[in-house]
Amino acid sequence: MERINILPDYFTKYRSTAPKALYLELGWRNFNPQAYFLHREEQNHETTLQGKAIQTTVESCCNIQALNQIRIGLLMPLFIIAFLFYCLLPTIVLSSEMTDLTELDLEDLMNIEITSVSKKPQRLSDAAAAIFVITSDDIQRSGVTSIPEALRMAPGVQVAKIDANKWAISSRGFSGRFANKLLVLIDGRTVYSPLYSGVYWEVQDTLLEDIDRIEVIRGPGASLWGANAVNGVINIITKHTKDTQDGLAIVSAGTEERGNVAIRYGGKRGDNTRYRVYTKYFKRDDAAYASGDEASDDCSTFKAGFRVDRQISDVNTLMLTGDIYDGRSGQRSALAVPIWSTINNEVKYNGMNLLGRWEHDVSDDSNIMLQLYYDRTERKDILLDEIRDILDFEFNQQFSIGERHRIILGFGYRFTRDNLDNSPSITFVPDRRNDDLYSAFIQDDIWLLKDRLCLRIGSKFEHNDYTGFEIQPNARLILTPGENYSVWISASRAVRTPSRIEHDTNIISPTTLPNGAPIMINVLGNDHFDSEELKAYEMGFRLYATEHISLDLTVFFNDYEELLTYETLSAPFLPPYTATSITVQVDNQMEGHVYGAEVAAKFQVYDWWRLQGTYTYLQMQLHPDEGSMGMTPEIPEGYDPHHKLSLRSSLNLREDLDLDLWVRYVDSLPTQDVKSYVTLDARLSWKPRNDLELSIVGQNLLDNQHMEYNSIQDYSISTEVEHSIYGKITWHF
Amino acid sequence: MFRKTVNIYISALFFLTSIVTSVKAEDDLVGEYLIKAAFLYNFAKFVEWPEDAFASSSSPIKLCILGDDPFGAAIKSIHGKTIRGRDLVINFISKAKDLEQCHILFVSASEKDKLAQVINQIKDTNILTVGDMAYFSHHGGMIRLFKAGAKIKFEINIDAARTADLKISSKLLNLAKIVKNDQQKD
Repeated sequence: MERINILPDYFTKYRSTAPKALYLELGWRNFNPQAYFLHREEQNHETTLQGKAIQTTVESCCNIQALNQIRIGLLMPLFIIAFLFYCLLPTIVLSSEMTDLTELDLEDLMNIEITSVSKKPQRLSDAAAAIFVITSDDIQRSGVTSIPEALRMAPGVQVAKIDANKWAISSRGFSGRFANKLLVLIDGRTVYSPLYSGVYWEVQDTLLEDIDRIEVIRGPGASLWGANAVNGVINIITKHTKDTQDGLAIVSAGTEERGNVAIRYGGKRGDNTRYRVYTKYFKRDDAAYASGDEASDDCSTFKAGFRVDRQISDVNTLMLTGDIYDGRSGQRSALAVPIWSTINNEVKYNGMNLLGRWEHDVSDDSNIMLQLYYDRTERKDILLDEIRDILDFEFNQQFSIGERHRIILGFGYRFTRDNLDNSPSITFVPDRRNDDLYSAFIQDDIWLLKDRLCLRIGSKFEHNDYTGFEIQPNARLILTPGENYSVWISASRAVRTPSRIEHDTNIISPTTLPNGAPIMINVLGNDHFDSEELKAYEMGFRLYATEHISLDLTVFFNDYEELLTYETLSAPFLPPYTATSITVQVDNQMEGHVYGAEVAAKFQVYDWWRLQGTYTYLQMQLHPDEGSMGMTPEIPEGYDPHHKLSLRSSLNLREDLDLDLWVRYVDSLPTQDVKSYVTLDARLSWKPRNDLELSIVGQNLLDNQHMEYNSIQDYSISTEVEHSIYGKITWHF
Repeated sequence: MFRKTVNIYISALFFLTSIVTSVKAEDDLVGEYLIKAAFLYNFAKFVEWPEDAFASSSSPIKLCILGDDPFGAAIKSIHGKTIRGRDLVINFISKAKDLEQCHILFVSASEKDKLAQVINQIKDTNILTVGDMAYFSHHGGMIRLFKAGAKIKFEINIDAARTADLKISSKLLNLAKIVKNDQQKD
């Protein structure tokens, strides 16, 4: 049974299709007072009450959405054509080059890489969790231009473009620009901001060609790290320098990707040291408003970095990597103070990071690792200026005890210091703060039946400056009855610890009543805001039917408590709306259940045609606690699509010609009035020479533009994603 | 709403059909054993046997595979190829007594426990032994194929090869990892 607020129908004309400037509302997270004013329909049945907002319980589930015009006309024929093509294929004769390698030189023979679609997991970890790996090949062939776009290929991750430079990305629900339940790492360095526990995706862009893989791990128990890994971990791993020992120059230009230039060079110093350096500049165009007018959300960023790997001895390796970046992006923001206004403005950001890691093989099956990194970010936004330093140290060790136990343990310390410049709209008290985070973990793989049944138990322990001591245990049972399949089941507890924005802030944001009167929402932080808690139950199944087919299925049930709500402190906000401002405070007064399923499949139909697909199902049910005076707390239920489907077809038409097609279907976001959409990306690539690749990529092709996210959670106005095309030249030297 | 449901189901149906229908695609991926078969061909090309190893100048080079066959269809790619006027012929053997007539002996990983015995049996012959099991060259095997990441490389035990009176071309030696008998720890 769900509670929804049904509203007077004279508010309907102020739905989100009207110019956003009129009622911009509070930024970040789930707060959306506008929802109070949204008219919701259930099918064709309108419920209206003059002048009064009422609370009604309705039996049938609230698939609350405007009428969705799905492009059925496009989706169906596409699949029918693809299906027929597939059936007719046996009659098409195509020469397959790879049946006789005897013509090759010995040197060439030694350079060929074994390819196998369904690589059987080498490590137990790969079989034991909801893990999906986006490979370097996937990134290249799909034509994506940023990490967020690449994440669309994974199941269980919701990716929505807010505007040309901002993203709403989360795993298993609670999406938003400031989504805080996902841990993101690049080469072991966490990239979420302790300010609000989320990721500024626009500054995380790196040279995509140098990414070895992106591991998308859903669920809390799978990771050994981090207080933020509540719903999942995204682990971005760059290539080892030995795989980037040549020069690479890339130029691309297009309708939305205005310009992108990158150069990377790799080499050796002596036998044991390898390095690479790169530099990259990109510029992206404005997107468009729903009305079709051009927005002002273009962005440009310059980035440079390096990596060095040194083999100190047979058993010691050292890695050093660092980046610097500098960029700006445009946005449109609404302010209440000092002047009520909506203005176009610019965010400027720059930063640097440096990471060093030492690994030592103690013996054949035991090793230790030490890692230290420093990260500095500077950000200037009309609402807040931030300078942040992070220093992080980590140690971990793996070893076996006897034949049956494999232990991993570790500890770490993180120091973060910030210096904030308040604005009338967002105030942090204090404006400078140092925080310490101590963490430790231990995990034991116990082989109950050798090579067949493993019990993995472990726990993370943390001490932070907001809630003190936290424990996050997890237990997992992994069964590998045969070479070809595995089943696992797990139970975990995880917490999302508070960040600065829940404890120390005072936010004033504008919104507008339907009658045109302005009203201010004042959000107060709460020193006693507690961690959000999760108990997660998951089960997974992985199958390698043959060398050509693999299937991965996960189902999960997440039980949340102490979820964030905004409790009204001043008088309840009811008509006749005489107040000019309303004050709310953050609190933990909601619980909820989220459940779903994720499927990923790969099928190597022929050696020149591969199909890959994922499907995600998600259902959220949130319930405010008894006595909660929260404003629209269940709104996050509608921030993630119920269904998400992605299908990729990779064709090697000739040895120098590749064609990739990528169809995506994303269900609607009911409470945001965002319709479901189907879109198509296509990439054609030609290699006239071994070291040169020319490619042309069309993105979001089935529509002129479509909206993916419309919650206005970050003080800025969402824009729509336009169709685009770009060309790219890649040259190895 | 109904059309959307139909949409989803059709998509799922198409997808599942693709998965469930199995297509026999032979070994036309760049599989591990296709690469190893090509290596065997190159070994036959760049190794010289003493003259008395062959009955005549046109006798075939016999490549024998001992134990479970890991090559499957991949071996067809080298069967019948001509090397310096001799045909490369593949035989599958399981009995020790058939070993003697081989020129190249590939010992499959299934014969792990019998390896020492096999090496001992052919120690006075001119047979080139090749294998991909762990410790192959430790036990006297001459050429071991191994995986380095996703690529295949090989190591040569030159002491073992010298004992069998085989001349290995510098082309192979330059590309191989060289292993000597006294370097091995047991």
